[in-house]
Amino acid sequence: MSVEKILPTPDADSKPFWDGCREHRLKFQQCGVCGEVRWPPSILCPQCHSQNTRWMEASGRGTIYTFAVYHQAFHPAFKGKLPYVVAVVKLDEGPMLLTNLVGRPPDSLACEMPVQVEWDDISEEYSLPKFRPI
Amino acid sequence: MLDAGICNYVVISYGHSGLWGGGMRQLLFNTRASEAAFGHFGAVGRYALAARRGMHAFSRGPDTWKHIAMGQRKWANLNPAAIMHAKPMSEEDYYGAPLVVEPFRLFDNCQMNDGGRAIIVTSAERAKDLKHRPALIMGMGLDNPCNEIAQAQYTAGPTGAKKAGRAALEMAGIGLADIDACQIYDCFTYTVEVTLQDYGFFGYGEGKDWFKGGTIEPGGRMPVNTSGGQLSEAYFMGLTPISEAVMQLMGRCGPRQLGPKTQTKEPQIILCSDNGGTLQSHACLIFRRG
Ligand SMILES: [Zn+2]
Repeated sequence: MSVEKILPTPDADSKPFWDGCREHRLKFQQCGVCGEVRWPPSILCPQCHSQNTRWMEASGRGTIYTFAVYHQAFHPAFKGKLPYVVAVVKLDEGPMLLTNLVGRPPDSLACEMPVQVEWDDISEEYSLPKFRPI
Repeated sequence: MLDAGICNYVVISYGHSGLWGGGMRQLLFNTRASEAAFGHFGAVGRYALAARRGMHAFSRGPDTWKHIAMGQRKWANLNPAAIMHAKPMSEEDYYGAPLVVEPFRLFDNCQMNDGGRAIIVTSAERAKDLKHRPALIMGMGLDNPCNEIAQAQYTAGPTGAKKAGRAALEMAGIGLADIDACQIYDCFTYTVEVTLQDYGFFGYGEGKDWFKGGTIEPGGRMPVNTSGGQLSEAYFMGLTPISEAVMQLMGRCGPRQLGPKTQTKEPQIILCSDNGGTLQSHACLIFRRG
């Protein structure tokens, strides 16, 4: 029996991010005045309050800020994936992103480990940016 | 409102059907956010992320948290109203319980339950004529460090407890040494560690030693969560800690009453905490015996 996947829920602000993911490009808003790269998307720069904004592409490199290992399925769609790792990755460009860590056993992970983005195409429309320790 | 004479008594109540109703489940199993696409759901996962960062920064993790889980359980064993009243917890029980979202095991998590709590606030003047000796509010402090949890870099402290605690002590005109017991919001064991650390009860990273030897248990020098708390009595948001502080100062706690019955100091002053979101907002309240 197949369980329906949970897909991201873009809104008008985050749509460019998810559109970028579909092309395997990690895109964030950057302030045109002070250069701050921000997440989540917003109309104002949280540093200098400027509305001058452009979208930039991040390198996909960062470090593990923190992580948690799910041993219980909170939704049937994740039952077959246990144990899996949810993490916050601090990207080299600044923003922190909620994601999954892949490619390593959970007990070999540690905060501050360097990671690189790896794409998971979960449907025709959506690709999730996940990260692998390097 | 009491000072302005708009009303004479205020009831602060909280009730929920956490077991059979939907509210608590929504907190735990929310699938609407984009985070759910990554398998991240609600409070347990969010606090597990906070706790892991805390472990990286200062905590010994389960080595410290076991003292909190087991210590509070000893209090619950003295409280007939506690859900875990009849269930003692050994170190083997703590480590043997299933992992939920690592680093949390089952007993690092609070209870899910039906029920409610209420407290009544009035003026000190009016309270003089009431049936029970009141608890008086000495100090309050609030601090809300952040509203965007994805970018939060304070989950390993200092949390809002630092500023809120300082403000409450200042308003009360006392120091930490004057506190006889604490009732700490304890949605997870880690919350108790980071909150007490930010209040200044022990130095950064010294939690494991501070909790060792029964510090917070019956007979201990700083009793914490003397009803069993949210971990072992029942979860009623901020009213679990506040109602227990008030009842202890009124002397209405039966077998778990602080004082000679539990080989602890008779309490004059009790400090309480409450927090919201994932350590995003914090309130500190200090009460004294009326
Ligand atoms: Zn800016």
